[in-house]
Amino acid sequence: MKRVLVANRGEIALRIIRACHEEGLEAVAVYSAVDRLSPHVRAADHAVPIGPPSPTESYLNIPRLIEAAAASGADAVHPGYGFLSERAAFAEAVEAAELVWIGPPPAAIRAMGDKTEARRRMAAAGVPIVPGATAPVTDPDAALAMAREIGFPVMVKAAAGGGGKGMRVVREENELAGALATAASEAGKSFGDPSVYLERYIERPRHIEIQVLADAERTVHLGERECSIQRRHQKLVEEAPSVAVSEELREWMGASAVAAAEAVQYRGAGTCEFLLAADGSYYFLEMNTRIQVEHPVTELVYGVDLVREQLRIARGLPMRVPNVWLHPRGAAIECRITSEDPAQGFLPATGRIAYLRAPAGPGVRWDGGIEVGNEVTLYYDSMLAKLIVWAPDRPQAITRMARALDELVIVGLPTNQGFHRRLMADPAFQAGEIDIQLLERRPDLASPDADEAAVLHVAIAAALAEDERRRQRRPAVSADDARAGEWGRAARQEAVQ
Amino acid sequence: MKYFVTIGDREVEVEVDRERVTVAGRSFAATLGVLPGAPVRLLTLDGATAALPCEPLSAGRWRLGWHGEQVEADVMDERTRHIRSLTVRSGAAAGPATLRAPMPGLVVRLAVEVGQQIGAGAGVVVLEAMKMENELKASGPGVVRAVLVQTGQAVEKGQALVEFGPSADP
Repeated sequence: MKRVLVANRGEIALRIIRACHEEGLEAVAVYSAVDRLSPHVRAADHAVPIGPPSPTESYLNIPRLIEAAAASGADAVHPGYGFLSERAAFAEAVEAAELVWIGPPPAAIRAMGDKTEARRRMAAAGVPIVPGATAPVTDPDAALAMAREIGFPVMVKAAAGGGGKGMRVVREENELAGALATAASEAGKSFGDPSVYLERYIERPRHIEIQVLADAERTVHLGERECSIQRRHQKLVEEAPSVAVSEELREWMGASAVAAAEAVQYRGAGTCEFLLAADGSYYFLEMNTRIQVEHPVTELVYGVDLVREQLRIARGLPMRVPNVWLHPRGAAIECRITSEDPAQGFLPATGRIAYLRAPAGPGVRWDGGIEVGNEVTLYYDSMLAKLIVWAPDRPQAITRMARALDELVIVGLPTNQGFHRRLMADPAFQAGEIDIQLLERRPDLASPDADEAAVLHVAIAAALAEDERRRQRRPAVSADDARAGEWGRAARQEAVQ
Repeated sequence: MKYFVTIGDREVEVEVDRERVTVAGRSFAATLGVLPGAPVRLLTLDGATAALPCEPLSAGRWRLGWHGEQVEADVMDERTRHIRSLTVRSGAAAGPATLRAPMPGLVVRLAVEVGQQIGAGAGVVVLEAMKMENELKASGPGVVRAVLVQTGQAVEKGQALVEFGPSADP
């Protein structure tokens, strides 16, 4: 293995290219027409165009990607997350082209990709699962009978799903038919498979997931990540370790995750997602057979570079994780910085990045795929970057994150930065009293604070800016010039740029 | 020069006199420093500093940032404010309610047709953006007067999608 094609874009493509270079490997970027000059393209050693902006014609186009690998002399393919990362057909196409697939065996992807099949297998392997049906359902009457048996509220989920797409909670019987149709339509569009299934909806659980890593010799777990801060089933904040997971629970959940991975002969990095109920019981949700968005928090508390380990395992080398009892060290938090408009119910926003200042300093990691000048379009995910911090304990990590968020400046489109600031300052979050329904109960976290200081500062700045603009429109006289001083000259200079 | 700055539903009076500003009865030594090449300004008020994004949108209209939040501000002098107060239309003559796209996206489903009576909260249009389907609902009961878009059509933020009239419309 010498040259790795990275079949992705944005921050994760850049993340993988960095790992390739650190492992002494060359990287090949692929790009759609709108990504021609993107950071991931410039970071790579080779770049291959793969088509128009629409993902189905570029980043989801298997023949084009295989062609790109051949054209660039790549001998391996890393899929990243999203796009084709969990398509067994892509893994098979890569292997059929005699390229190394940097991921689990296609059979493991297939086994875990069909969520109903995965639940059957996990139950057989002794992994606890959420009560519910194991068969896909389409007929509304059959679904209603099934839902009554499971007990309301129920969750409608895409059989081939992930990432919150094709998921609906149904509390009343009369909502079921509509939810089935919407979920099936979303599932069909996102995953090419409209199958959905039902399961019991557990109130106010935590989302806890276990990172696993497997080479040819052994399968280990690298503890948990808590991803309970979610909106519409999309994760916004992740942390490791979780305040709700004791040393003992970590070993139980870790053992379940290892059992799940071993049941499908897993290789490489993967994640088992669980719901953790208030009583300490936990239920397997699904296994993500790829690197995850939130992998950095695990890297920071376990001192393991998961992407470099993926590359090593794909080369047939043993993982560099020591074969001893591992413990998380310190605390790490990740905030997903997304383009969204708080004034519009957090719907995705588009625009051009007019200015970016990424945070830095002790314990701060910025995994971003954006730069000044980038257009944020509707073609791809709304996540702009991940801001990750590490500190010796959770309270220090929270204050460090608040500091880093203060440093972050993105101009050109609205983001959820303000939400993250409010969350870090929130007593419930600081106390670790979180669950996946927190944001539904706390709309105040979503709405911008309108404190007096903010209004006055903004008003003064706007008045000064307007005053300056008006003075600049008048013909300059020398006396004015002398009076305006440094700032005035600088302002004029900027105005003519 | 006296300016009236409107931010949301607040109006703030700011008196600017060279490098002094007076607001809410308090006077400050104020500067608004320029960062060359960046739409970010450094505001100082009696030595206290705050860096904030600042972009002109149109004459008198600015987009600023405060702790990661976008804020739009309308700045008027006394004369402009007076003229505008005379010409602004009264809000009483409200036309038919219009459902507008809250974001750019793709119309994937239309759940209504012209003449249809709908209840408050009924699903009207399903808009897809960034791979998520978002159901837009009616804010109140009414009758569909016009459907202005088609399934499969890409729409801009703010674009009118469906027009409604009151239920009792003859």
